[in-house]
Amino acid sequence: MNIFFSLSTLASMVRLTAPLAFATMGACYGHKAKIFNIGMESYVLISAFFSTLGSYMFKNPWMGLLFGIISGILTSAVFGTFVLHFKGDPFVVGIAMNLGASSLTSLLLLMIFKTRGSFSSPDIVGFSRVNIPFLNNIPIVNEIFNNHYSIVYLAFVAVIFSQILMYKTPFGLRLRGVGINEKASESVGVSVIKYKWYSLILTGIFTGMAGACLPLCGLSMFTENMSAGKGFLAVSAARIGVGDPLKALIACIIFSYVDALSVSLNSINIPSQIVLMAPYVVTVVVMCFTSSDHPKKFSFGRKKKERVSA
Amino acid sequence: MKDIILETKGIVKKFGSLVANNNISIQVERASIHAIIGENGAGKSTLMNMIAGIFKPTLGEIYVGGEKQVFKSPNDAADKGIGMVHQEFMLYPDLKVIDNLMMGFEKTHHGVFLDKKKARIDILKICKGYNFNIPLDEYARDLPVSMKQQVEIVKVLYKGADIIILDEPTSVLTPQGIEGLFNALRLLKSMGKTIILITHKLKEVMEISDAITVLKNGEVMGSVLPRDVNEQILANMMVGRNVLFDTKKSPKTLGEPIFQVENLSAHDDNYVEKVKNVSFDVKKGEIVGIAGVAGSGQTELVECLFGLRKASGGKVIFNGNDITKKSPREHRLAKIGYVPQDRLATGTSVEANITENAIMGYHITHGFKHPMLIDYKQANDFAQQVVNDFRVKTESLKNPVSSLSGGNIQKLVVGREFEQDIDFLIIEDPTRGIDVGAIEFIWQKIIDISQQGISVLLISHELGEVMELSDRILVMYNGEIVGNLKNSDTLDEKEVGLYMLGGKKDEIAQ
Amino acid sequence: MKSRNRKNFPDIALNAARYVFAFIMVALVGALLIKSQGNDPLEALRAIADGAFGSRRAIGTTIRWMTPTLITSISAVIAFRSGIWNVGIEGQMYMGAFMSAVVGYELCLPRGLHIVVCILVAGLSGMLFALIPALLKSYLNVNELISTLMLNYAATFLTEYMTFKYMGFDSSVLADAVATNEMQETARLAKLIPKTSATTAIIIALALAIGVYLFYRYTVKGYEFKMVGENLRFSKYGGVNSRRTFMTIFLVSGFIAGICGGTEMCGNFGKFRTAFATNLGWDGVMVTSIAQNNPLVCVLVSYIWGALKAGSLHLERVTSNNRLIVNIVQALFVLMVSVDFKSLYATFQNHRQYKKLRRQGGSETE
Repeated sequence: MNIFFSLSTLASMVRLTAPLAFATMGACYGHKAKIFNIGMESYVLISAFFSTLGSYMFKNPWMGLLFGIISGILTSAVFGTFVLHFKGDPFVVGIAMNLGASSLTSLLLLMIFKTRGSFSSPDIVGFSRVNIPFLNNIPIVNEIFNNHYSIVYLAFVAVIFSQILMYKTPFGLRLRGVGINEKASESVGVSVIKYKWYSLILTGIFTGMAGACLPLCGLSMFTENMSAGKGFLAVSAARIGVGDPLKALIACIIFSYVDALSVSLNSINIPSQIVLMAPYVVTVVVMCFTSSDHPKKFSFGRKKKERVSA
Repeated sequence: MKDIILETKGIVKKFGSLVANNNISIQVERASIHAIIGENGAGKSTLMNMIAGIFKPTLGEIYVGGEKQVFKSPNDAADKGIGMVHQEFMLYPDLKVIDNLMMGFEKTHHGVFLDKKKARIDILKICKGYNFNIPLDEYARDLPVSMKQQVEIVKVLYKGADIIILDEPTSVLTPQGIEGLFNALRLLKSMGKTIILITHKLKEVMEISDAITVLKNGEVMGSVLPRDVNEQILANMMVGRNVLFDTKKSPKTLGEPIFQVENLSAHDDNYVEKVKNVSFDVKKGEIVGIAGVAGSGQTELVECLFGLRKASGGKVIFNGNDITKKSPREHRLAKIGYVPQDRLATGTSVEANITENAIMGYHITHGFKHPMLIDYKQANDFAQQVVNDFRVKTESLKNPVSSLSGGNIQKLVVGREFEQDIDFLIIEDPTRGIDVGAIEFIWQKIIDISQQGISVLLISHELGEVMELSDRILVMYNGEIVGNLKNSDTLDEKEVGLYMLGGKKDEIAQ
Repeated sequence: MKSRNRKNFPDIALNAARYVFAFIMVALVGALLIKSQGNDPLEALRAIADGAFGSRRAIGTTIRWMTPTLITSISAVIAFRSGIWNVGIEGQMYMGAFMSAVVGYELCLPRGLHIVVCILVAGLSGMLFALIPALLKSYLNVNELISTLMLNYAATFLTEYMTFKYMGFDSSVLADAVATNEMQETARLAKLIPKTSATTAIIIALALAIGVYLFYRYTVKGYEFKMVGENLRFSKYGGVNSRRTFMTIFLVSGFIAGICGGTEMCGNFGKFRTAFATNLGWDGVMVTSIAQNNPLVCVLVSYIWGALKAGSLHLERVTSNNRLIVNIVQALFVLMVSVDFKSLYATFQNHRQYKKLRRQGGSETE
């Protein structure tokens, strides 16, 4: 029983929350601005690759982070161009990007690092661990929250930042407004397309950070398809939290707890496949309980957007 | 010398090949109420959208206070003191009223954070100055329609508008609500604001306006003063011919009640009870109209009656059978038809062609030679019949519905239901946003069908429509039926209006 | 082709322009990609063509890879046409493949019957796996897109686990080496062209495509399915039982996805290996997007897909190019086809008009 609440499980839960929390913050901006973005999976993967590259080239994890953020924004810009300007179906664009990103990163891995599957090197410098002195004296909290990689703390800062940006600034108000009623926003001179772009850029920044977490926290290696559905998980976490950063964070924590738990369970003879399956199954189960529009809205379908002017 | 605050010169607006506005020149005097009237599709809203900076004119010029303006966005127009209250409210249902008002014009601390306190003070000042009373901390979705309209007006004032454009503001209000609005408008005028009122209701125009411009087919038919004209002259200008607003009715005998509703209750999507213990019946061949302010529960009631929404209590009986829990499919099989309110969202599939739209429902009630297969000859014949009988203007049955105009889509939707073999027909807002010719046509068809012994339940937000067509009028207020009135020439619109506001709740006429 | 009939000429022209534009863009980017690796694009193209059409063997390989793509794309057509985002085709296919491999080994049946049983079992298992998201969608309104995505991952691990259990491996065996026993000869599909990898599974695939096309064209149910996709409220109001229709569509889509797993087992693989076919389900989704949900166009596009796959394998063998380039090109093609030229044109017109207006305004004030 202890294994469920062991300190190491809880500590790794905190660590695993970081990439997911970043990605989820990105997804929250998309959710609030009503951009349906399953292409986020590709953002995470591509920025994971480029942050590996950045860290490898400059022997500095922060350069890796910068590379990750820039590549995240650029990937998001591709999505934005196709969806907002070329009016592509976001679902189709997202899927094409996900598949393309998976091949692209493998190809780049081959071209730049001359290897297949995965790449690790001492030159990829990961984030260093941070010791917060005043926590040292508090027994349990210290074990769980202290001595994490610096970027883990940044993740929690990102959540607070997002919460403030979303609810306390004119920017956030307008962003939410655009998601609720586009026509009304245009009528008060808030450019819908501009705010959708802002939201996409924010999504790119935060997924870029999420991508940087993957190769630069601990393992210092890049593996093909290492995003492993993190982008999808983030989209569902944002859905569960209705785009509210703090609520979505709770979903993130649940997911990463299961993830952390499965690592611990693996050590006590539970088949690895079942363990690996757990986070995905739990996501579906959580969605069953939190589905934002419960059966009541099944009554009569949603209104389709009017396409013809009467 | 007149003090002209707003002037347009030779405005032309084209949408593709369609000329919505052609060479429109108008002058609006400062501190006056200027009415723009015309049929639906006459180009009133298009013109106003250009003045408010939402559309850009194809040709022509707009002058505000004597200066030429080219508006890039609604904000440019707002900067010049032009604000518009749209027919379809531009509110954010999931935001609080104060956030709704602030949107786009936020006050900030240090240029970063929202300053709600300051905004609140400013808004309250406006409310006090112009005698509005709106709850700032409620969600916009929870407000009644008249309150939403006030929020819209306050929003325009908060942005510092001197010229306020109101697009069909009275279509959602009760007679009493209209009076309240007009009082507010008179107050605004007395404080130096200029008001442009778009409407197609002539009585209101005569009552409140200082100047009238009539549009028809995108052109100005004339600018007149109310003291020089009367309703009949205006109607002729609008339509270009004498309009007969009287439908031909011949006496008929009513049969037994065939549709009975007993103590029906229902919730809306947010689990708020919207239909409370409603009972009524409809006799064979009778037209029963349901009047009421929008949002009084009509939508939920109708969805319940057609099986699109689950009832939380009560019974619906048709021809002696309990159909409360039946699906729309079973309703159709029982020979009940339904013309929905929203022809685009519910009434049609705009991407599909006319035949595919015409056979919806028919494919269940009538079926085809082989129960599993569609017989395209039969389907096209039926579609052609609808198109012919209801004068739907189209080149081919293969055209998508999106190629039709609003009036023609409505005729298709109505025709599809009327041409099927039905005993009972539920009709919701059959003439919303269509031109006068089509309204007359559809009204006559409704009268005709009831002569054939088909019972009709007519739900409309236009009180005039209900009063014109119904044999009996039920008034819905806050989810309840508060009035059951026999229609006659002596029935007064004001009296029905009182019921619509719940004023006569205690003395239900039996 | 009904969906084309009702469109007028400019629409057809725009549609053609869409494909031509996509093709040119993709050819350009592909050439650049190959060039960037220091190779000759023309040589690569020749290698691809060679591998796809150059010999009997090449044609066989093209057909072999066309088959699963076509079946999964038909599965996607069924779902997408009615607005159901079943992207769990991959997972449903895995379940089908595993079960048919088991049945193919365990049962002893005469030849024809054995194949039918295998493929039916595959379809049913795919359908059962689709039942989970279908139920969640119908009764708890869980977004099917996310649930099927998640269940894809679950299916990969689940089939791996079941293979372990079924074969009695312990965890010391590497996942890469795990496979079920070889299926019996009676459960294997015959070769379509001798001494190539093309099997008679293509006949099943083509039959499905034509069947689905006829279904949408001529049946009442097909009409209802289509209407549900175009406007859900409309079809509910018109008397279509939407919940049941949704369930049916989801299950049929899962069934066809499962069949794909079955034909893969009975056709080429002969035994279930974990992670045997990455992205076959996604290929189907891509093909459907390009074909804009038309089952007949799917046949054409999946043929191109098969040719590209066969060609890319050959490409990797004879040149120093990597076949990932072809995958990127495929994704790019989907991306380019998604561009909506009609609204782009409208935006362009709007912009021009505005500029004209500005010019008029400007000159007057001067």
